[in-house]
Amino acid sequence: MTPSVITRSLGKRFGRKWALAHVDLEVAAGQGLLVVGDNGSGKTTLLRLLAGLLLPTLGEVEILGSSPQQPGSEARSHLSLVGHQGFLYEALTPLETLALWNRLGGRRKSVAELENLLAEAGLAADRDTRVSGFSSGMRKRLSLTRLHLENPRVVLLDEPFTALDQAGREWLLSTLSRLRADGAALIVASHDPQRAAPICDRAIRIERGQISWQGSLGDLESAS
Amino acid sequence: MSTFQQTLFVARKDLLLGWRARTRTLAVALFGMVTLVLFSFAVAADGEVGVSAAAGFLIVALLLSSILSLEESFRLETEDRALEGLLLLPVDPVAIFYGKAIANFVLLVLLGPVLLPLTAIFFSLELDGANLLGMALLWLLAAAGIAAPGTLYASMTSRVTGRDVVLPLLLFPLTLPILMAGVRSFDLILRGDAMSQLKGWTLLLAAFDLVYWVLCGALFSRTLEE
Repeated sequence: MTPSVITRSLGKRFGRKWALAHVDLEVAAGQGLLVVGDNGSGKTTLLRLLAGLLLPTLGEVEILGSSPQQPGSEARSHLSLVGHQGFLYEALTPLETLALWNRLGGRRKSVAELENLLAEAGLAADRDTRVSGFSSGMRKRLSLTRLHLENPRVVLLDEPFTALDQAGREWLLSTLSRLRADGAALIVASHDPQRAAPICDRAIRIERGQISWQGSLGDLESAS
Repeated sequence: MSTFQQTLFVARKDLLLGWRARTRTLAVALFGMVTLVLFSFAVAADGEVGVSAAAGFLIVALLLSSILSLEESFRLETEDRALEGLLLLPVDPVAIFYGKAIANFVLLVLLGPVLLPLTAIFFSLELDGANLLGMALLWLLAAAGIAAPGTLYASMTSRVTGRDVVLPLLLFPLTLPILMAGVRSFDLILRGDAMSQLKGWTLLLAAFDLVYWVLCGALFSRTLEE
């Protein structure tokens, strides 16, 4: 079976500095890959390359058989990225935000369905509050609601547990477990391997833009 | 969802954001008004000189105000990387460009009812119904000629340090044909068109609008690459 995510000798240079170099990866459907590494090691760059938000300087990315680099490409309709930023408009309400993602994503969920998604995220009472009035935890919950809306086949997460309370973390873990059981490939960049453990089975360590170690999640601690 | 529907949806979103940030939008209009006031003090605002200068000052006021409006349009997109959120959806970048350009066009057009009457007052212009209609049509063409390249350049400069300076440096030279054709057309409406030149200048303005809207739409996706 063809892996959902493939990178071949992937590299990205910003100015003179190589943020990522010669990264070869394969993540199959239903697999969870944890990406660990120090600040500035290249984790976020890797996720942004996989999402197609950055153009690689070297190598190539394949998501479900096609390149995500082209805006509007088929690959992008099957992937979700939740990063440090929530991709939110400050002046829109959560319901308007979901409606925007719903319509522009080519989905036809009703307002009642969108309201249900907000209720699942614990934001029902704030459906008419503008995002500018949200705490960082509420913003995170709203951006994570995108996973429920899109039901992606490739999920890219950059520090997904940051800013979430206990209930939020449990909600996120159950969402990711369900997506994985449905065949989604997960790639999670996190400084907190223990929290990501229930949804990941493999791990890689990135140092100075290169994969310095890879193995099972169980071996990660002894390799540290 | 077709590209056309996506375009309308993006335009609707931008207009909603413009409405929600209406104090900022009002500040843009106020900036245009202050510019006209300064111009009216800078030159003799009555007589032939005043009429001659009015057309130029009106278009320059629109151009200067447009910088604030265009910057704001992309500041909202970069604040929480919201534009990237749209790019992660299967949305045609062409729809994002035309949606944003249409919204910017509408916001620039809305400056017309503020700046046109003010120009008439400050520069003692005598306007009749036909003049007003002609000026309104020219205003639409001038706003369109600024909105398309303005949206493209605002996107290009949105992630650049010192974008406040870079955007006008890039945009102003490109809008010279709009400035020239717009000023000549307005001037001919205000002072009379004895040599029947108005049609030619207006067609030139419309032609540049068409070129800018087509070309900028085609180039927009290149500005999104990092």
